[in-house]
Amino acid sequence: MRRFVATHRGALDAEMRFEVMLARSASAHDGDPRDSAVSETAAFGVKVTCGGTGGVTAEGFTGVEVGRLALRKGRLMVELEAALNEALRRARWNVRQKIAALKTLGTTAPALARALGVEPSNERATIPATFQRDPRDALGAEMQQLCREASSAIAGLGQDIVFNAVSALSELRHELFINSAGAAISQAFAYSQGDVYVVAQTADGHQETWDVIGDQRGFECLREGSRLELSAHPDLHSFALELAGETRALAAAPPLKPPDHEVVVVTDPHFNALVAHEIIGHPCEADRALKMEAAYAGRSWLLRSTRENQLGRPIGSPLLSACSDPTLDGYGHYLYDHEGTPARRTIHIEGGVFRGFINSRATAAALGVKPNGSARASEAWHLPLVRMSNTFFMPGASDPAAIVSEVERGYLVCGNNIPSIAESRENFRISARRVYEIDHGRIGRLYRAGSVLSDSKKFFTNIDAIGNDLRLFAIPNCGKGQPMQVKRMSNGGPTLRSRARLVGGDR
Amino acid sequence: MISLETLRQFARAAHAQLARTRDIGAFELYCSSADHLVARLNYTSDLPSRGLEECKSLNAAGFALRIVMRADPHQTGYAHVAGDFRSGALREALAAARAAVVRDPHFPGLPADPQPLAERRSDPAHDLLTASDQQVIDSAWAALSSAGTAFAKRTPLKLAHPGLIIGGDFSLIRDRVAIASSALPEVRTDENAYFSASVTALIEALDAKGTATAIGTSRSELERAQRLGRDAVLRALELRHGERPPAGDYRVVLGPQPIAEILNYMVMGSLTTGAFQTAGSAYTGRFGDTVMDARLTLSDDPLAAQGCVRRTITCEGLPARRTVLIDRGKLVGLLSNHYDLHRLLNDERRDEKLGPAAPAALNLQANSGYRLGDGAVRRFDGHPASVGTNVIMSATGGVSDRELIAAVRNGIYVGRVWYTYPINGQRAGDFTCTISGDSYVIRDGRLAAPLAPNCLRINAHIEQVFKAPLAVGRKSEPAIVWGAPEAYWVPALAITSLTLTSVNPA
Repeated sequence: MRRFVATHRGALDAEMRFEVMLARSASAHDGDPRDSAVSETAAFGVKVTCGGTGGVTAEGFTGVEVGRLALRKGRLMVELEAALNEALRRARWNVRQKIAALKTLGTTAPALARALGVEPSNERATIPATFQRDPRDALGAEMQQLCREASSAIAGLGQDIVFNAVSALSELRHELFINSAGAAISQAFAYSQGDVYVVAQTADGHQETWDVIGDQRGFECLREGSRLELSAHPDLHSFALELAGETRALAAAPPLKPPDHEVVVVTDPHFNALVAHEIIGHPCEADRALKMEAAYAGRSWLLRSTRENQLGRPIGSPLLSACSDPTLDGYGHYLYDHEGTPARRTIHIEGGVFRGFINSRATAAALGVKPNGSARASEAWHLPLVRMSNTFFMPGASDPAAIVSEVERGYLVCGNNIPSIAESRENFRISARRVYEIDHGRIGRLYRAGSVLSDSKKFFTNIDAIGNDLRLFAIPNCGKGQPMQVKRMSNGGPTLRSRARLVGGDR
Repeated sequence: MISLETLRQFARAAHAQLARTRDIGAFELYCSSADHLVARLNYTSDLPSRGLEECKSLNAAGFALRIVMRADPHQTGYAHVAGDFRSGALREALAAARAAVVRDPHFPGLPADPQPLAERRSDPAHDLLTASDQQVIDSAWAALSSAGTAFAKRTPLKLAHPGLIIGGDFSLIRDRVAIASSALPEVRTDENAYFSASVTALIEALDAKGTATAIGTSRSELERAQRLGRDAVLRALELRHGERPPAGDYRVVLGPQPIAEILNYMVMGSLTTGAFQTAGSAYTGRFGDTVMDARLTLSDDPLAAQGCVRRTITCEGLPARRTVLIDRGKLVGLLSNHYDLHRLLNDERRDEKLGPAAPAALNLQANSGYRLGDGAVRRFDGHPASVGTNVIMSATGGVSDRELIAAVRNGIYVGRVWYTYPINGQRAGDFTCTISGDSYVIRDGRLAAPLAPNCLRINAHIEQVFKAPLAVGRKSEPAIVWGAPEAYWVPALAITSLTLTSVNPA
């Protein structure tokens, strides 16, 4: 990288991310094997920053999935050189067009002329993956058996189960980051994940339910379950049967018909994982706050401009705190991001007051703060974006049972289903898997098809109790970027009590 | 990108090699090479920004192999290899596929088509396969400059902090495939290139948002898309200082973008054989029923003259064909890949899943088996899914936009919605989304005032939209849905009543 920068006119910085990945997967539908596969690939992405007259800078990027060519060192070097040259050519053309645009727009585009002054990383580290059952081992038959037996057990529960699918994945990923400033970071990750989808139909209604378990561990976490402090879960077979039981109960339950006014809602940790994801995590991404996602996934209600924003202001109850912490052992764990920045905990909300964003090096420079190691790409051929890691509401002191028993009339909202949020995430409607009536502190009837609808700040401000039961859950499919990058992370929280409107189902 | 000829030669050689393998009864080899060029816009007047934030390409090529064991036609294995088209890679893939063999009692064999397929000749007007990345970068910067110039000239006030945001992207998508199969008479190939461009302009000081989009298959169309920056800014200026109506039940016109978005997130996923087989379709038990208004017909056409997602063969090697999904309101067809089609046809609860109105002799075909990756490019490592291409909703008895608005009389014209999701699962049909821009308040049958972006949320069911619209638009307009593999051509619809709740600024 250093030699490339030194020998190419205009090149200021260059960096490369290289990764190799091996994944084993299996699936079963309705008790029959559906598929089994081993995937191996290798890919890299190179970024070159170029400078032009008047201090104007711009970047070019090339991402290539090289696959098995990575086994041939000579060929890999040829591909890498070609990609660097392509990225440089794009960066130069980008600089040239930027200078032309600045001439056209003159003083009407002051923000464009300002250089961000991004300092590259020069960290060096080697970090191994954590697992007992190596994903490279011949796990295929065992994985297939686990899926088939779990799927078969669900199918055997009764005629009301009309479809079920169980799948398992175990993956080992090795990443290398190097740049022209001397950074060299090697990190390995093991991911194992089980997915279960169940559709049940009764005379009273139907229900489709999907959920996932996942850890940065080997296959053992699916075979035996996990006893991790914040993200314990049962083995895949037990998890699948639990979900199927819930789906059957919901198919027999009536759809929620809630009152047309605000009610007391107690939301459980699983439901709050999705609230933390959509209403804390996404709006706390600095690229979104800086309007870089405005045409796609929207802006952030936490930052209108550098002059007008929520930094240092109350946005919720004094009981409420939230953070992102990639150093914790969760599905979103890592120690260096994809720009070579060391990972660290970022407090988003402290005692109800908004404290800050997760960021990349460029967005940190734009906001005048230090980078906190949150730039991540889903694969090496993608550019890193600002991403959540383990993002969650922090625990309080209350006993969750007491939080429910103190409610005279209200609803207990359990399990997340599907979110829909307003453009700046200032409002949300998130559906739950199960909603129970609370009557004089007692949990009553079960309903399906219920969702919580609220303005975000109002929901946070109305929180009057926070449980001591923090849990983290694997989120395997967070989409962001153009083209869409799908990233793994974890989200969670403890039990919360607030006030909101509930919306029921139409059918 | 790898040339079509290289892919074809590898497929031919692999076919010969696999045909000589004794324990393999049948095989399918799918090769692809894809290139996705993206120039992403990001200009913010009040915050540091780069103009073109991401100027990038993503290239991937490889092949997937499915084998069927001679000893048992239900024993099948699958493997894929990235980046290597040599005979050694094929040997590795074969070993991996053997190691991954499972016995799937529902495996129906490989997609077969005994008739040789005439090779398509490329239309010289569709010249994006040879476009350079510089042309994409030029168009993106020209769009940005046109936006900045339009704003400087046309903004009504000289604002110290206008909060002007220009976002979006110019994307060029190119893919090539070659398919060899023991069930096909020859190696089949296809290639396609198209661009999509989308510019969003926000002026935060004026609470205004406007968008402009284009899709096309030629360099000249790409060049013309440079005007999108100007168009988006002018639309945003036109929509400044919009009204914030109270929550309530409203008559609305849903423009082409909202209709495309609702179709994409709520309907298309339900119109697949897979969704019916898993009983997860919003139309479960209603095949053959009237599920939409009799004025509406919905089809998917990979060969459509106006379509940009042009395909002559599916990713299973079968001829790409038009599939009529809804014919004058009646559910008559489903998107399907080969596996899901046979799985549904042979499902023991098929009658219950399709419903009593389904004809005894179903005319369903595997017209829609595509293997797509990020950005909807054809990718070697995906399994065939049932996906649309150019989705076209046409209307009979349609009226002009002016008449649609007059039919509503008092209500809302919804030009753009955002984050439309099946809030209670696909089968329930309930959806919610927010009105994010390009919208108006309708009074006395006319567009009376802009609607402030992001001030109302729609909570509704798909039947409210498609079952009995007040009036249907005459013209099907192109619409892009972010992240969707399909391109849409749809009319606007006037809806009798939708429930809207308020979204309050933070």
